[in-house]
Amino acid sequence: MNYILNHPLRVAALAAGHLELVAVALVVALAIALPLGLFAARHPRIAPWLLGTLGAIYTIPSLALLAVLVRWVGLGFAPIFVALVVYAQFMLTRNIVAGIAGVDQAQVDAARGLGMSPTQVLLRVEFPQALPVMIGGVRIAAIAMIAIATLGGYVGGVGLGVLIFNGLTLHQPQMIVAGSLAASALSIVVDMLLRLGERRAATP
Amino acid sequence: MKGQIRYEHVTIRYPGSDRNAVDDVSFECGSGELVVLLGPSGCGKSTLLRTVNRLVPLDAGHVFVDGADVTQRDAVELRRSIGYVIQAIGLFPHMTVAQNVAVVPSLLGWDRQAIARRVDDLLRLVGLDPDSYRTRRPSQLSGGEAQRIGVARAIAARPHALLMDEPFGAVDAVVRSALQRELVRIVAELETTTLFVTHDVDEAFRLADRIVVMRAGRLEQVAQPHELFEHPATAYVAEIVHAGDDVFRRYFLHGRELLRGGSQ
Amino acid sequence: MSSTSSAAAVSRARALALLGAAPTFSGCALRRADVRVGSKNFTESFVIAEIYAQALENAGMRVARLFNLGSTQIAIAAMERGNIDCYPEYTGTALIDVLHLGPIADSRKAYAVVSQLFEERYGIVWLKPSPMNDSQALATTRTVAAQKRLATLSDVAIAAPSLRLATIQEFLARPDGLPGLQRYYGGFQFREVRTYDIALKYRALLEGKAEIASAFSTDGAIVTDSLVILRDDRHFWSAYNVAPVVRKAALTARPQIARVLNAVSPSITDRAAQTMNAAVENSQQDPADVAAAFLRSMEARR
Repeated sequence: MNYILNHPLRVAALAAGHLELVAVALVVALAIALPLGLFAARHPRIAPWLLGTLGAIYTIPSLALLAVLVRWVGLGFAPIFVALVVYAQFMLTRNIVAGIAGVDQAQVDAARGLGMSPTQVLLRVEFPQALPVMIGGVRIAAIAMIAIATLGGYVGGVGLGVLIFNGLTLHQPQMIVAGSLAASALSIVVDMLLRLGERRAATP
Repeated sequence: MKGQIRYEHVTIRYPGSDRNAVDDVSFECGSGELVVLLGPSGCGKSTLLRTVNRLVPLDAGHVFVDGADVTQRDAVELRRSIGYVIQAIGLFPHMTVAQNVAVVPSLLGWDRQAIARRVDDLLRLVGLDPDSYRTRRPSQLSGGEAQRIGVARAIAARPHALLMDEPFGAVDAVVRSALQRELVRIVAELETTTLFVTHDVDEAFRLADRIVVMRAGRLEQVAQPHELFEHPATAYVAEIVHAGDDVFRRYFLHGRELLRGGSQ
Repeated sequence: MSSTSSAAAVSRARALALLGAAPTFSGCALRRADVRVGSKNFTESFVIAEIYAQALENAGMRVARLFNLGSTQIAIAAMERGNIDCYPEYTGTALIDVLHLGPIADSRKAYAVVSQLFEERYGIVWLKPSPMNDSQALATTRTVAAQKRLATLSDVAIAAPSLRLATIQEFLARPDGLPGLQRYYGGFQFREVRTYDIALKYRALLEGKAEIASAFSTDGAIVTDSLVILRDDRHFWSAYNVAPVVRKAALTARPQIARVLNAVSPSITDRAAQTMNAAVENSQQDPADVAAAFLRSMEARR
């Protein structure tokens, strides 16, 4: 705690970097997960295989995945960014599928019968109702990514993990505590904000 | 030719079964007619209904609406010109009643004022006060109210034809009677050709100008209600209308009179 | 120098640089840093790299830090891939670990050899070296030195079978580590050899779990724990002067890197290094604050 009070700018800068890393990775991960999740929702026979594969990938220890990624793309922003995008897929895709599958099929049938095109059914009927569950997936993914992103301090000089890993090397526990506390605080704030979003998106 | 529906040798196969879901069905609904498809579960009546708006594809034969083969028209555009009501209704819970009713007009690009006027007219038509119901959410509606909204939504864009798949099956008997009466009134007023699916003989007799009796994918008989009594075409038809049983005859025809206020 | 006064003493320029560098910390592709500075994973490397980084920032460049690299090999690989533009390297490490040559005790000669070969082989340029010579050493406590009468490496070579060595993995692998000592001096067959994390090595010595620890002659612990460095009486060990090593491409793109770092490097003496190391290791100060103080004192002496 002292460290944070004595070095507010440094911690803030690292926290900003941490948040930026997670946010960018989340956006890219969503861009991949949305079509993927949609595909899985429309093809219920393939869905278990897809989600199973993503789930298996999720169980790969993050350090191991990072080691492989560093070999391919080097150190810095890139390996931790890719790792975050990969890990987020499982949680995002799973909730997208659940959200869309959770929409009452009678509504989809009625929507089609009334004359909505497939895109219109998706945008006007399915997405608005799937949104709370999907935001829930984003929330879960964001929390996990904030934690995994601490490894960015190990391979990329990015984020609050820098404090943690520097603290380990320099044998300065106050740095480790500062990094961990700040990361936890980020998690809590993000969780709160996204829960609000979930609630507001819910159908009354 | 407004809203005329014609089936010509329509066949739909069941994948992996030697029996067809619908087997060589041909009949016609005249403009403004209320035709009931009557039969037990699994006889293919819902499947047959959904070929009109191309929710189900044909394996053989043709379906004509307003004289045109439905496969020659764009499916989405076709569906916007045909009303569709299902048993579960499928109201959109994240939209208000007004937004639900306005779905097809807004898909068709009507201007806002026209839509607002139409919504109010429709709510009145189905017996609901616009001021009370316009901004309600589907979760705040009773079963009967919801189904009225479902009907309003289906006819919002003034379709010539209306498809209804056991729409009153999920409501209790008292509400059902009221809804049936409303439907007959509305359909007569709007001159909409209506194809109505049910397994309830009682309901068929109350509503239909003509009844199409189906079993196992095949037509048993297509006739006016009283003819089913007097000249049942098959043993099955005779059985379900209790042909020859005078008590049932009077029961069915009396129910029809009550609903329609006199004729037939 | 206490932590609070150092925090209060953060200059406005540094504060703005930090805030402006926040996106740079994230390495967002949209806002590239001007220079990326690396460091290896021990205190002195952190401190010196931080001195380089802040000197560059004070000169107006945007700096990204990729500290804590796990080994010399990783650092070189990072340079080759362009993940970092410069980092502090030691002439001795370069000679032995990277170029696989024998040790050179003479500082000037060592520097000449490594700077020529690094440029030829890796396209890496050695800027001006610092006077500080962070040579390898063996250290012990005063108590043990007195008890076992150890003053030179030759003494340890003979007494090794009754001694336990606390060291790091690199020391056992590198040719100028234990294997080299054994060949050059003979003996050095320790009773027990255990490896530790570089930050925990001296603990073993102080807790009596080992009698000898491999060390570096600028370690802060030497000053603060009153350790004894055993004299390299037969001049086995190489010179280990630190200097900024920079990718040629980075220098070509930004020649001011050379000007800035060359102005700083000659001021890092043995004494300065030991003091800074002690400040970080013992007083638990942030290397960034220690480096800042060093640069300020350098300015003051101008």
